[in-house]
Amino acid sequence: MKTSLPLRLLNVIGLIIVVAIFAMPFIWMISTSLKTLGETMIFPPKWIPDEPIWQNFMDAWNSGPFLQYFINSVIVSVGILIFQFITVIPAAYAFARYEFRFKNALFGLVMVTMMIPAQLIFLPVFLNLSEWGILDTLWGLILPFATSAFGIFMLRQTFKQVPEELLEAARLDNSTDLKIMMKIMVPMAKPTLITLGLFNFITHWNDYFWPLVMTTTEKARTLPVGIAQLRQVDGGVAWNILMAGNVILVIPILIIFFFAQRHIIRAFTYTGVK
Amino acid sequence: MNLAKSSYINEVSEGEKPRSIKLTKWRPYLLIAPAIIVFLVFFIQPIFYMIYLSFHEWNFISPDKTFVGLENFIVLLSDPMFLQVIRNTLMYTFFTVLLSISIALLMSIWLNRQGWMYSFVQGAVFSPHIISLVSIAMLWMWIMDADYGLLNWVLSLVGINKVPWLTEPNIALASLIIIAVWKNIGYYTLIIIAGLQSIPKHLYEAAALDQTSGIRRFTKITFPMLSPSLFFLTIIGILDSIKVFETISIITKGGPLNSTNTLVYYIYENGFIFFKIGYASAAGVILLVILGILTLIYFKALSKRVHYQ
Amino acid sequence: MTKIQLKNVSKAYGNSKKVIDNMNLEIRDGSFTVLVGPSGCGKSTTLRMIAGLEEVTSGEIWIGDQLVNEVAPGKRGISMVFQNYALYPTMTVRGNIEFGLENMKIPKVERKKMVEEIAEIVDLTEFLDKRPQNLSGGQRQRVALARAMVKKPKVFIFDEPLSNLDAKLRGQMRTELIQLHKRLGTTFIYVTHDQVEAMSMGDEIVILDKGNIMQQAAPMEVYHNPENQFAAKFIGIPAMNVLPIAMLERNIGKMTDGRIFHVGFRPEHAEIQTAKQTTSGVHLPCEIMTMETLGSETLYLVNSDAGQFQVKSFHNPLMNTKKVHVTIPFDKLYFFDTQGNRVYTDGLPFEWRDEKVREEVLV
Ligand SMILES: Nc1ncnc2c1ncn2[C@@H]1O[C@H](COP(=O)(O)OP(=O)(O)OP(=O)(O)O)[C@@H](O)[C@H]1O
Ligand SMILES: [Mg+2]
Repeated sequence: MKTSLPLRLLNVIGLIIVVAIFAMPFIWMISTSLKTLGETMIFPPKWIPDEPIWQNFMDAWNSGPFLQYFINSVIVSVGILIFQFITVIPAAYAFARYEFRFKNALFGLVMVTMMIPAQLIFLPVFLNLSEWGILDTLWGLILPFATSAFGIFMLRQTFKQVPEELLEAARLDNSTDLKIMMKIMVPMAKPTLITLGLFNFITHWNDYFWPLVMTTTEKARTLPVGIAQLRQVDGGVAWNILMAGNVILVIPILIIFFFAQRHIIRAFTYTGVK
Repeated sequence: MNLAKSSYINEVSEGEKPRSIKLTKWRPYLLIAPAIIVFLVFFIQPIFYMIYLSFHEWNFISPDKTFVGLENFIVLLSDPMFLQVIRNTLMYTFFTVLLSISIALLMSIWLNRQGWMYSFVQGAVFSPHIISLVSIAMLWMWIMDADYGLLNWVLSLVGINKVPWLTEPNIALASLIIIAVWKNIGYYTLIIIAGLQSIPKHLYEAAALDQTSGIRRFTKITFPMLSPSLFFLTIIGILDSIKVFETISIITKGGPLNSTNTLVYYIYENGFIFFKIGYASAAGVILLVILGILTLIYFKALSKRVHYQ
Repeated sequence: MTKIQLKNVSKAYGNSKKVIDNMNLEIRDGSFTVLVGPSGCGKSTTLRMIAGLEEVTSGEIWIGDQLVNEVAPGKRGISMVFQNYALYPTMTVRGNIEFGLENMKIPKVERKKMVEEIAEIVDLTEFLDKRPQNLSGGQRQRVALARAMVKKPKVFIFDEPLSNLDAKLRGQMRTELIQLHKRLGTTFIYVTHDQVEAMSMGDEIVILDKGNIMQQAAPMEVYHNPENQFAAKFIGIPAMNVLPIAMLERNIGKMTDGRIFHVGFRPEHAEIQTAKQTTSGVHLPCEIMTMETLGSETLYLVNSDAGQFQVKSFHNPLMNTKKVHVTIPFDKLYFFDTQGNRVYTDGLPFEWRDEKVREEVLV
C-alpha cells in the first residue's frame, strides 16, 4: 500500500514535532547554560546567546565541593555495581540450579523485596544507619543496594536457560561449581550482565532520593544532591548556572545513551517485555 | 598391567578426597546468604521496625519511645492535611498513569515501524527516562517559569496568556503530572511497541482476508493481545507514581498551600523536618498497605497469566 | 580392570515410582555395549548413574574394583558424549577440548600438545580457534569426541550421539565410532533407541524395557535366540510376528505344552508362494492385504484365519494374486509363555495333524 505524498509529509511533520517535544527541553537547557543572567530574563526568550558564557560551568562547579560529589558518585555507582555482581551472581545461580529446602520461600522473599521501594523504608533504615554509625558515609549509600532482587530475578531466568547438558559436561570435566559458575554460566550470561550493569549504573548515578535522605553533610553527598543544592545558593535563581550544573550531570548519561542505545533500552524495558 | 590400572583409580580417589555429593548440601544456602542478609537487614527488618515505630511516639532525640497504641493512626486519619495528601497522591497517580498509557498507546501504534527515522524518534522519546529526576525537575521548573519560561513563550505564540504553572494551587499538581507524563511516555511507548511486535502476524492476515476495518482490528485483535502489557504498565505506573518524591521535593516542596504534597514527601517532611518519627511511620504503614495490595493484585494476575500459557 | 558392574541398582526420581528396579548389569572390559530400548525405558538414567550425574536410590555401582557411589562424576574416569554435543559456546574449540585437562591440573605445555594431537586425529586442526557455533553438525560432533578422548578416560559413554545428524552423516559417524573403539580398546557404553544402530555397532546389546533388562547378549544372539517376546519383537525389521496359539491351533493342531501362549516367527523366515508347498512346516492359506516393494525385497501384510502378520520375501513380488500360501519352517518357530518369556521345547509342542485334514480346510 502506498500512502499519498501529503500524508507522508504530514507524518514527517508529526515526527518532527514529537522529537521537538522531547528534545527541545534539552536544547533549552544547553542554551540557558550558556547565557548571562540577564539573558535568562528576557521575554520572548532568545535561543542563541549573544556570546556563549563557558564560565557558567566553572561557576557551577566551583559553587560547591563538586569534585568531592563527583568522586562520591563514582564510588557509589561503581561500588554498588561491584557488590551486586558479587551477591547477585551466586544467588541467581543457586536459585536457578540447585534444589534445596525452603527454596521457594526464599525466592518468594526475593520477589517481595523487589516490590519494596526505597521510598517506603527510608525512615527506619535512616534510624538503623544512625544507630550503627554509618549515617552520612558512603557505606550508607552503598550497602542497602549491595544486592538486587531484580538482578537475581533476571539473571536466574538467564541461568535457567543454559542447557543442563552443558553443566553435566562440565561436571564430567571435573570442574568445580565455582568454575562452572564463572567459566560457563557467567560468560553465557554476558548480555544480561551488561544489561543489568547499565541499568544499575544509570539508576544509581541518577539517584537523588537516597543520598539526600542518608547524608547530613557534604562529605558523602553525590552529584545529583549537589546539583539540586545549587538552587539554594543565593536569593534569586540563577538559571544559567543551574542549567550549567545540570548539563554536567546529564551529558555523560546522554553520551552513554547515544553509544549504547540498544543495550540501555533493553535494560530499562526488560521487565515489561517479558 | 591390571594392577597398575587399579592403583591409578585408588590414587585419584585418595589424593584428592572424593567430593561427596552429599557435602554440597549447604552450598546453595552459602551462595544466597549474602543477598538474603542484605534483604533482611535493609528491607525486611525496616518494615517491621516501621510498624513497631508507628505505635510509638518518638522525636529521635530523646532516648525513649512511648507506646501510644493506635493514636498515631487516629491523628493521621483525622488530620485534614493528611487526607489532602492522600487525595493529592491518588489524583497524581490516577492522571499520570491514565495519560501516560493513553498517549503512549497512540504513539506506539504510530511509531511501531522499521527504519532509522522511527528508531531515532523512539530513542528521542525514550531519552527522558534515563535522565536524573533532579535535572528533569529543575529543567521543567525553568521551562514552567511563569515569566521567562519556555512553555509560556510557546503558548504565547498561539495567543495564550502566561500561566502560573507552579505557583497556583489549582494548577501546580497538574503541572507535576505533565512533567511525569513527559518522562514516562517514552518508556511506556517502547514497552507497548514490544507488546505490539509480539502479536502474531497471522492474526492480522486472517483479519485482512475478512476485510476487517482498522478500528475493529484494533478492538478485536490489537487491544486484547496488548492487555497483558497494558496491565503490567498500569501496575508499574501506579507503583512508580505513588512514590513520587523528587519533583515535589525540588520544585514545590509540597506547596503552594499543601496542594502538591504527596505521601512520600509527607513522610519525609514529618520524619526529617518535624522529627515526628512515630507519626511519619504511621503514614509509612499506610503506604505499605497500599503497596501491599497492589503487589498482591500484580502477582495474582501474573500467576494467572502464566497459567494460561 | 575397567569392567562396570551395577549391583541391585534402583532409581526413583523424587518420591515417584522406580524407573530402574533392582538392576544387575555387568559390562565387560573393552566391550562396545549398547543399551537399547523404547523411549522412557531408563537408558539415559542408567547411563547417567554410571557417569555419576544421577545418584542411585539404592544399590552399588562399581567401576573396575572401585565402588563409585560416592565419587564425583569428574573423578570416575569417564567421558561422555551428549546428544546435543553440549559444547561450551563461549569457548573456542581449543578451550572446549582443554577445559577438562585444565581441571585435571595438567601443565600448560603438555595440555597444548595433547590438544593439538587430538585435533589432528579428529581432523579439526584448522578449526581450533573457532567457536562451536561456527561449525557444522558433524564437526561439532567431532569436537565433542575430541573433548571426550583427550582425557584418556577408562570408559566412554554416549547418549544418542548421532540422533541429531542427517542420515548420511550418521552412517559415516557410525563407522568412525566403530573404528575408534577398535583402536582405543576402551569400554564403550552407547545408548540408542535405534535398533539398527544397536545391531551394527555393539558387540553386546542390553535390551531394556520399563527399567528392566530384557536380554543381554551379542547382537546376532539376540536375533536368533531372543529370551522373551519383548526382545524378539524389538530386534529385527520388521518386528517378529507373534500370534496367540488359540488362533493357530486350528492350523497346526492342539498344543501339547501347556506353558505356551504365543507363537512367533520372523517375517523373513516365512515363505510366500502361490501354490501350496510340501516342505515341512506350518502351512497357512492367506490373503495379501498390502504389499511394499523395496527393490531387493518385498514386504507383505497378509491375513489368515490365524490373524494378520507380515512376510518378507526376497523373490520377485507376486503381482496378480490375492490368495497365497505361507509356510513357516518348524525350526523357525519361537514359543512364549503367558509372561512373554521364551519356552524351550524338545521337538514340536503340538499334535502334528495329517496333511489331509489341512487340505479340507483349504478348498
Ligand atoms: N529428572 C527426572 N525427573 C523425573 N523423572 C524423570 C527424570 N528423568 C527421567 N525421568 C523419568 O524416568 C524414566 C526414564 O527416563 P530416561 O530418560 O532414562 O529414558 P530413556 O530411556 O533415556 O528415553 P529416551 O529414549 O526418550 O531418551 C522416564 O519415565 C522419565 O519420565
Ligand atoms: Mg534418553
